[in-house]
Amino acid sequence: MSSYPPPFDHPFGTRIDRDALAQRLEAAAGWEAKNRLLVQLARELPPLPDALRTDEHRVAGCESTAWLVIGRQEGRLLAAADSDSRIVKGLLALLLTAYHGHTPAELAGFDFEAWLVSLGLQRFLTTSRGNGLRAMSRMIREAIAEFSH
Amino acid sequence: MPMNVPFSAARIRDEFPVFRHHPDLIYLDNAATTQKPLAVLDAERRFYETANANIHRAAHRLGSAATDAFEGARTRIAAHLNAAHPDEVLFTRGTTEAINLAAHSWGRAHLRPGDVILLSTLEHHANIVPWQLVAQATGAIVKPIPLDADGTIDQRAFLSLLTPAIRLVGLTQCSNATGVLPPLAPMIAAAKAVGALVMIDGAQGIAHGGVDLQALGADFYAFSGHKLYGPTGVGVLWARRELLAKMPPWQAGGEMIDRVSFDGTTFAEPPFRFEAGTPPIAQAVGLAAAMDWLAGHDRDTLLRHELALRERFEAGLVQLDCIRVLSASAPRGPITALAFDGLHPYDVAQFLDGYGVAVRVGQHCAGPLHQALGLNGSLRASFAAYNTEADVDATLAALATTLEQLA
Repeated sequence: MSSYPPPFDHPFGTRIDRDALAQRLEAAAGWEAKNRLLVQLARELPPLPDALRTDEHRVAGCESTAWLVIGRQEGRLLAAADSDSRIVKGLLALLLTAYHGHTPAELAGFDFEAWLVSLGLQRFLTTSRGNGLRAMSRMIREAIAEFSH
Repeated sequence: MPMNVPFSAARIRDEFPVFRHHPDLIYLDNAATTQKPLAVLDAERRFYETANANIHRAAHRLGSAATDAFEGARTRIAAHLNAAHPDEVLFTRGTTEAINLAAHSWGRAHLRPGDVILLSTLEHHANIVPWQLVAQATGAIVKPIPLDADGTIDQRAFLSLLTPAIRLVGLTQCSNATGVLPPLAPMIAAAKAVGALVMIDGAQGIAHGGVDLQALGADFYAFSGHKLYGPTGVGVLWARRELLAKMPPWQAGGEMIDRVSFDGTTFAEPPFRFEAGTPPIAQAVGLAAAMDWLAGHDRDTLLRHELALRERFEAGLVQLDCIRVLSASAPRGPITALAFDGLHPYDVAQFLDGYGVAVRVGQHCAGPLHQALGLNGSLRASFAAYNTEADVDATLAALATTLEQLA
């Protein structure tokens, strides 16, 4: 597994893949266990350095703040993220797992929101105005679209 | 309900059908919107079933019935507010549109470059941004009244800011974010003494104890139906007749005109001058029903109940670590705003939601207030007449479990 330079040297999308996360989420029966798992995932995602927690990378929701850094290396999309909310940060770990370290070809046809719904996390999409998850998923897709230009 | 029946929150709760559909719901997001009693739902439905037509212009019986229902609602609402005349009650979509109406009609007609609009730092964005837009258009200046360390309005600073250049002072009756109750009577008197008009945002205050407009002495008063057990889509701007007479139309269309020709149009008298187009007719009827419903209860008893719930909640919070009540020692309505050491309010609310407790997190459209308090956001629990002690106790238990989960 290739390793990437900071801040892209986190495990989500590389050492931890979609299937592994889906198994953990499926094992978390009920909303309470899922919330707890999101908090646990947040612990596994290293914080973004302060130098990157800037307005340039800020994705403001009404209820919490998140930061998203997007990069590119050898045709692969790189992403790192952080939030002041642990549950949002856990959701960002899912977002990174879906996209980080992948090529546009690997992501063709992948629907992040449908994946969240299949994992029983649709309530976080309906409150997306608050947590900015949809906006960040869109930003990553736009970055991927630019790859092909 | 007759006044001699002892107060029972459980019996009031039974009047709200939403709790039949969600029997376990602990709804503490009342400052965002309240649930609706059957009396309000029935009034709207009855209007649509028995009197639905467009108002004021119809040359038929149903149109007369609709007009009577709508104007009857205006008259009853004026009486509940103790307004001097029903014509002083303008129907709007809500508080936000009411303040926009005042800002754009009165402000654009009467503000000049250098005039000052003084707004408390407690204000909801709805009582800030309309004035900023009008200031941009007229050259007037918006100045904030700062807060004391406890999140109340700095009275000394307020008095020192009062000069003859102040044309309008904007104050909330009750902070939507922290529940803080500014001392309106002396502040209004001081503002009037320098010749300023006073806009009171009553969106929260009217739901907790109501208002007596002739006693209040303000110039504008704005509120929404939906935070007052009434429908969404309807609100009120109140202003005295003499003031409304000096205000030009804001929105234009049907209903608000006297005579239209391409040589020139003349406008109707207030209140119709300010109610362009078809107003929220059934919603106005529903709002009057909500205020009738409230008047059927002893308002002081309801307020005491809501404040007792807030106090029970805050007393229980003492058992929990890392929670701070904002403006804890200030006079407040039945609203508790919480900040957490080392925890994000959003995370707390996500767990609470799982336990069936509905609260609000964020800045509650009060950015300047949160900036002044040095907070990115807070968690707000707001109480209404149908909340019970069991709601409070279950919320405290849910909070304790949440803190364990997030530890």
